Amino acid sequence: MTNAAFSGICATSRDVSLAGVVCAVPSQVVTNEYFEKEFSKSDIADIVKMIGVKERRWVNPGQTTSDLCLLAARTLISDLGWSAQDIGLLVLVTQTPDYALPASACVLHGLLGLGTNCAAFDVNLGCSGYVYGLWMVSQLMQAHSARRALLLVGDTSFYNDTTDRSTALLFGDAGTATALEMQEGAGEWHFVVGTDGHGARNLIVPKSGTRQEIPRDERMGNRDLSKLFMDGGEIFNFTLSAVPPLGHALFEYSHASIESFDAFLFHQANTFMLKHLARKLKLPVDRVPMNMERFGNTSSASIPLLMCDKLGERLRLEDMRLAMFGFGVGYSWATPMRVVRIVEL
Amino acid sequence: MDDRFVEGIAEAMEIGHEEVTPDLELTRDNWNSLAIVSTIALVDELYDVMLSGPALGRCATLGDVMALIEKAKGNK
Repeated sequence: MTNAAFSGICATSRDVSLAGVVCAVPSQVVTNEYFEKEFSKSDIADIVKMIGVKERRWVNPGQTTSDLCLLAARTLISDLGWSAQDIGLLVLVTQTPDYALPASACVLHGLLGLGTNCAAFDVNLGCSGYVYGLWMVSQLMQAHSARRALLLVGDTSFYNDTTDRSTALLFGDAGTATALEMQEGAGEWHFVVGTDGHGARNLIVPKSGTRQEIPRDERMGNRDLSKLFMDGGEIFNFTLSAVPPLGHALFEYSHASIESFDAFLFHQANTFMLKHLARKLKLPVDRVPMNMERFGNTSSASIPLLMCDKLGERLRLEDMRLAMFGFGVGYSWATPMRVVRIVEL
Repeated sequence: MDDRFVEGIAEAMEIGHEEVTPDLELTRDNWNSLAIVSTIALVDELYDVMLSGPALGRCATLGDVMALIEKAKGNK
């Protein structure tokens, strides 16, 4: 844990608009009763009191993040009436790609029938991934790399250990697609992006890459090192010390008051923590939507899923000023989007 | 003791307000990870200081927790 003052890089993107967002969730609904074979009812009640999840979606055997993102992307391209050949950039943000190589973005590029004049690559990020993705894609676009781009973001609970009480009930699966296009006069997006690499071992799948010698860590005990390990207390402390200063930095950088925002969209990490962060930042509760109850923590997909689930109609009809907190923080001024919807796989 | 602290601890540990005294013993049953995280949030909100989970886990009584808070306030 670090209590050092947290600061970030400030960046502005101009003339990029969000054309639409589509989220794909698995059709399989998993309720909390499912976990009664592993944990006592009172344990489940304690966990649920903290995380606030009543049900989540899990992929069926054989389905992956890229399947969800493919459905979301196809739906979005079709709804927008875009030509696949017009898309000049495809970025997939995920920690559950299909393969170590090739990049799943390249596989999806082929399945979507995009042209060869399109850049495609994967980015390995979790809860901060959507805001990072918007920052990266919009910055590339305003440097004239592409006029239209797809940002695909999602994860499944593939690494989740269903016998580990700290994570078993927390995570859900979703894949999302966001369409961005250059549009003069679309306004400015302000970002504050930061990293604290000291926390790397607090949320980790130790044996999931090429490092075979895992540094000793007494917290691991006899765990299966190919499964997700989370030190919830450390993550909680990090978030509490990092997010409020980043939030203030964002409001200051964007010259915007809290009152001027229509909604504050947090990565859906844990209901208890979100309520605390909202209080700490003195945000109006009615403008901090949450949907962990129905979908759990869907990693990088949680903010676009929140947009589709809680703001869908308004995002199509209104100019909404949104602040997004992916725990690498961002903010956007969004003009009305043409497509905002959820589909099931 | 600060009323808001008493109320928050009573809620976090699911006990009556009258039980919240410096002598309150923290046991495996009442001082679980949920109570500890709730206490971190409570103290952050009331006093704007951050306590560490492992340090709270080592506390034997509520008085130890209060000493941690005073120490953290002094370090600000």
